Amino acid sequence: MTSLWDHYTVTNAYDEMRCSSNLARPSSSRLSHYLNSLDGKALEARKSAAEMAILEMGITFTVYSDEGNIDRAWPFDIIPRIIEYKEWLHVENGLKQRLKALNCFIDDMYNEQTFLKEGLIPAEIITSSRNFIEECVGMHPKHGVWANICGTDLIRDTDGTFYVLEDNLRVPSGVSYMIENRVITKRVFPELLQDLNVLPVDGYPAHLLEMLVSIAPEDKSRPRIAVLTPGIYNSAYFEHAFLAQQMGAELVEGADLVVKSDDCVYMRTINGLEKVDVIYRRIDDQFLDPEVFRKDSLLGAKGLIRAWKAGNLALANAPGAGVADDKVVYSYVPDMIRYYLNEEPIIPNVETYLCSNPDHLDYVLKHLAELVVKPANESGGYGMLVGPHASFAEIMKFHKIIQENPRNYIAQPTLALSTCPTLCDNKLEPRHIDLRPFILQGDSSFVTAGGLTRVALQRGSLVVNSSQGGGSKDTWIINTET
Amino acid sequence: MLSRSAERLYWLARYLERTENSARLLSVYMNLMFDLPLGVEMSWRYLLNICGAEEAFFHLYQEPNEQNTMSFLLTETANPGSLFSSLQFARENIRTSRDQMPDEAWQLVNEMYLYAKNNSALVSQRRGRVLFLQEIMQGCQRFTGFLSGAMSHDHALRFIRLGRSIERADMTTRILDIGSLLLADNRSEIMREYESSLWINVLKSLSAFLMYRKHRRHRINSDDVLDYLLKDKDFPRAVVHCIKELQRYIYLLPNAGGLKESLIKLELFLLDVNIKKTTPTQLHELLDYIQAHLGDTHNQIAAAWFLPKYGT
Repeated sequence: MTSLWDHYTVTNAYDEMRCSSNLARPSSSRLSHYLNSLDGKALEARKSAAEMAILEMGITFTVYSDEGNIDRAWPFDIIPRIIEYKEWLHVENGLKQRLKALNCFIDDMYNEQTFLKEGLIPAEIITSSRNFIEECVGMHPKHGVWANICGTDLIRDTDGTFYVLEDNLRVPSGVSYMIENRVITKRVFPELLQDLNVLPVDGYPAHLLEMLVSIAPEDKSRPRIAVLTPGIYNSAYFEHAFLAQQMGAELVEGADLVVKSDDCVYMRTINGLEKVDVIYRRIDDQFLDPEVFRKDSLLGAKGLIRAWKAGNLALANAPGAGVADDKVVYSYVPDMIRYYLNEEPIIPNVETYLCSNPDHLDYVLKHLAELVVKPANESGGYGMLVGPHASFAEIMKFHKIIQENPRNYIAQPTLALSTCPTLCDNKLEPRHIDLRPFILQGDSSFVTAGGLTRVALQRGSLVVNSSQGGGSKDTWIINTET
Repeated sequence: MLSRSAERLYWLARYLERTENSARLLSVYMNLMFDLPLGVEMSWRYLLNICGAEEAFFHLYQEPNEQNTMSFLLTETANPGSLFSSLQFARENIRTSRDQMPDEAWQLVNEMYLYAKNNSALVSQRRGRVLFLQEIMQGCQRFTGFLSGAMSHDHALRFIRLGRSIERADMTTRILDIGSLLLADNRSEIMREYESSLWINVLKSLSAFLMYRKHRRHRINSDDVLDYLLKDKDFPRAVVHCIKELQRYIYLLPNAGGLKESLIKLELFLLDVNIKKTTPTQLHELLDYIQAHLGDTHNQIAAAWFLPKYGT
């Protein structure tokens, strides 16, 4: 009898579902078996159903292009990615640990700077960071937490170990898609979810709300909370609206806010002005307040920083939190965990070469063809070099630009990235994936059950960003022991 | 509630009501055209006139035949007054108001939009057009029905209803304007012959046929139909009813200023009109006056809630 898996080849990368071409991992055996009961055609039919649901639900993201901004349907692969519950608990603890240490570090950088003084990180890494914000010096946000919301990118190497690739501490996005992916899976594979013990993911907005309440300036039981969006043309507008709706918070744009001379923030309502206590801002620091940052910004509101510094407003994430969202600072996170928490890191970092370090730079320049080079400060997969996939001309270009500004570049070995079966033209084929869980920290910590799995839809590609042709998968944390 | 959110909900409701009304008007007009003998002064061009779209039409098309008129009024994206454009504006407003409403509300509008977008080819034939219009009318009703079962009677719903009532009142006056043609002194013999059939269709375009029969118990004649559709307090699409609805919601909103008085004035004025003594020209002027007053009402609504000026 022919099987859907007959032509599935496990490459040298770790495959999330198969130990080998003809053997499923224990946590995936039921899914593997079930998929095999469907043929390629039936799978394609489910895929069409998923695409229809995405259109009807209006799950979109915006792509910036020369022809203007286009709303695209969210790219989704119907085959879920599975992680064993026990393994996930370990990862979850590692993520909480990491964010705690990062927040200690940020608070330290804007205050005593002991980590610097003890020589654990070269001072110029901080002073030269464009994410270090003078205005924040001396501030202590509630609970000592600056980055309340973090999206950490994880990958698995060939041996199956999870590594942290980067921490997104500024305005990480994707969580709404994680939730919507499950809604679609429920429509497409209702029979399957019924039989398996998959952890739900839709509790996130409630936890987000709880966290935002916990950072309100006064101990109000019902502080007024707003999600600040750059507006409908932002690529993540869908998510901003989604989260505001799910939390019952106001979705505001800069023009809806006004900071009065009493240093309090108000929003313009049909009743007149109403005070706002907490803002979950989805605008970068630079655009947040034209009084302090970019004068030409129309996205933020004049005086927000004034209100924040006066203690009348909580901002999540706090301005300046991005100082730890830097691929150079990243390489010091294991040391932060040891220093601030006196613990060993639970999830390892990917080995990182800092081009600002002359020895490292020398190695990087000699091994460009094997390495992945990233700018220290960009997100969304822009401005990267993937050595093994790059042309000679691209390598030469990076050879030059790295030396012009070494502080701005880091390099990492090209990791295989694990693969997961993905539906490609009626067939299942391995495609590379990563994982972005979301971590919240206020008066307590919370990690999503799984996260957003992103998949590189091109054969062999390692670029998973949706802005660069990547897709996504539902992520199942399965408890096989009950 | 944010001023901006209030404004978007208000426009969402106006555009959806406009979508539904366009579908009603076009579908009734089509029925009428199929009933009437060839050669009467009712024409596809006259439909453009009712919609206030003649000028825009001739920018894009030359011949005001059935095909062109219908695609211009139904699916033409270059016509901001087309049914599809209204639906598109409605969708844009609800897309940016998703924090105000249950998810299904957005999905209902989005599904309707996708339907219209993917089936625009249907409208080139009469049969397809009938199906298309039916689907749109049902879609709008699904939306209204869903809201009435799923939304609290809070300010958000009040702004939706304000938008709906003002748009409805406006549309009814436009449909009644057909009357000024139907009643023109120089109308043809054939027009006179088909007169009651025409008024029946006017009633039907506002879903008012049965209610009229029930409540007026009269044979169908111009004076009674006009009186009913202008002055009835209970029929949802009668102008006075819409004005009373506006008053009701405005009463529940803060900072309404002089809006209430102005709407009461309009209501009393309308109730005082004696249709039997009104000439077709006077009728046309009366309808124009109501439309202008509704325009003012809109401006007052915007000034009170959408464009608040606060010092810092």
